[in-house]
Amino acid sequence: MTLLPLVGRSLARHRALVVALAALLSAFQTIDVVVAYNLQSNGLYAQMAALVPSFIQEAMGGVLVGSFAGAIAVGFVHPLVMLSLSCAAIYMASEPAGEVEEGLVDLVVARPVPRFLIVTRSAIVYVVGTAAVVAAMFATSRIAVGSMSPATLGEVPARRLAWLAVNLLAIAWCFGAAALVLASRLRQRARTAGTVALAAVSLYLLQFGAAAWAPLRPFARVSPFHYYEPMQILLGRGTPTTNIVGLLTATTILLGIAYVMYERRDL
Amino acid sequence: MTLPDAILTESLTKYYGPVVALESLDLAVAPGEIYGFLGPNGAGKTTTIRILLDLVRATSGRARIEGLDCRARSVEVRRRIGYLPAEMPLYREMTGAAYLQFLSSLESRPVDESYRRQLFARFDVSDVDLRRRLDHLSHGMKRKFGIIQALMGRPSLLILDEPTSGLDPLMIEAFAETVHELKTDGRTTIFLSSHVLSEIERLCDRVGIIRRGRLVRETSIADLRRNTPRRLRVFFEGPAPSPPPSLADAVRRSDARQWELEWSGPLGGALDAMQGLPVSDIEIEPFKLEDYVLQAYSGVVTGRE
Repeated sequence: MTLLPLVGRSLARHRALVVALAALLSAFQTIDVVVAYNLQSNGLYAQMAALVPSFIQEAMGGVLVGSFAGAIAVGFVHPLVMLSLSCAAIYMASEPAGEVEEGLVDLVVARPVPRFLIVTRSAIVYVVGTAAVVAAMFATSRIAVGSMSPATLGEVPARRLAWLAVNLLAIAWCFGAAALVLASRLRQRARTAGTVALAAVSLYLLQFGAAAWAPLRPFARVSPFHYYEPMQILLGRGTPTTNIVGLLTATTILLGIAYVMYERRDL
Repeated sequence: MTLPDAILTESLTKYYGPVVALESLDLAVAPGEIYGFLGPNGAGKTTTIRILLDLVRATSGRARIEGLDCRARSVEVRRRIGYLPAEMPLYREMTGAAYLQFLSSLESRPVDESYRRQLFARFDVSDVDLRRRLDHLSHGMKRKFGIIQALMGRPSLLILDEPTSGLDPLMIEAFAETVHELKTDGRTTIFLSSHVLSEIERLCDRVGIIRRGRLVRETSIADLRRNTPRRLRVFFEGPAPSPPPSLADAVRRSDARQWELEWSGPLGGALDAMQGLPVSDIEIEPFKLEDYVLQAYSGVVTGRE
């Protein structure tokens, strides 16, 4: 089976990125828990909530900004976390363009390797890579809360935190699939990843802006970040299955387009 | 039963937007043949190779390898091919051994380890070289890994683009030896693109010259040797006599003590015609593919022989 060596090679090439990002975002989780614990110990949540403008609170988890659970959730809703995870997915998914740019595709596709395996390989790698990062974040958050303040562990149920993590992953996967579509067409990795990363930042700002300015709200529907409602998840107001299914459907459609485009392209 | 052509292209055409890369290319390479594919830069050599490998899709026309359509049965076709690109792409972070192992794992059948060892020995690749990262290797050593990866699967068709670029003379000799062995064995067809004309002349059975996407000349090296006029310089002990009628047309220049001749066909005829003349020395310029190729490149010669 030629898929395994392809996946192995690609994972090896992205190992440093995945490890570095997992370490960075796990450190962020740890700091987040420490800050949350200290705020709780000093009874500062109410004062803090009063200082944050309402639209920022909305964007960052609403009423939960002023609570221990909300502060813990910041590790999964902070724009830097969301965007860095999405950008990692985008970079990993842009590998097919990089292979064309570097000529590596000549060696691989000149062998009896069907073209669809290249897209499948990249899809697996960015999905697994980002899942590993989020798993590390989740585990670190739970361990940090459990070790610093075991009594508060129940305030943020693992199940809700897991939904946050999965929803966050679904956003990253959606951007990864978009990058794979572009990588199935373009010949430069930087151009591919840069274009989609820029789109991700713009779509985040659109969603953020929509929280503050009503006229933007209808347009915010095109942003994958629109389908992430951390407050609802943390408050236990249902599971985000509709949002996740929507994001995964978009991901699947984009992957389908990537397969067709890669099959037709000149390498 | 006759075997299908190892390579067959019919009216193969490729446009990159308004740029014509290939125009109605008809090419046939017989099984077991060593075919030199020549042309100036940008003539369409690499595009042809990439269409054969299904890396690039033709605008129109067909390409077949051993009877299989390069587009419709692409994976089967590539199972039969060993390919060395002109610019050797490398996973820089890998060692030579890991690189070859990775490429072996993409082959449809296991690579014969003893044959690979044989290739390491022939191309002087040591265990130390195998353990070094590819980005730490010299250009020549990277090229050796390129040649080995193309050969190691024992393909029935080898497509080699500038195979000896950057190799030292010893390794060029090792490469020539390998090609001769494959030719003797008769089971491998070699499609060789190179700018090193001495290499083409020495190794190939036939050459095709492509220019601006069209095959402008195709001939066998043996025919070329036979039919290309040879330059002779004949020196005399005393004043040069007037040429006999059988040589008159061949003499291009004549001065006090020498003639310069261009002679087509077996040289015996020229030597016979000089019987009895006071010849002190004869210089015969060796056959050079270069003259023929340069003519074709510059557009002087068109058509096939």
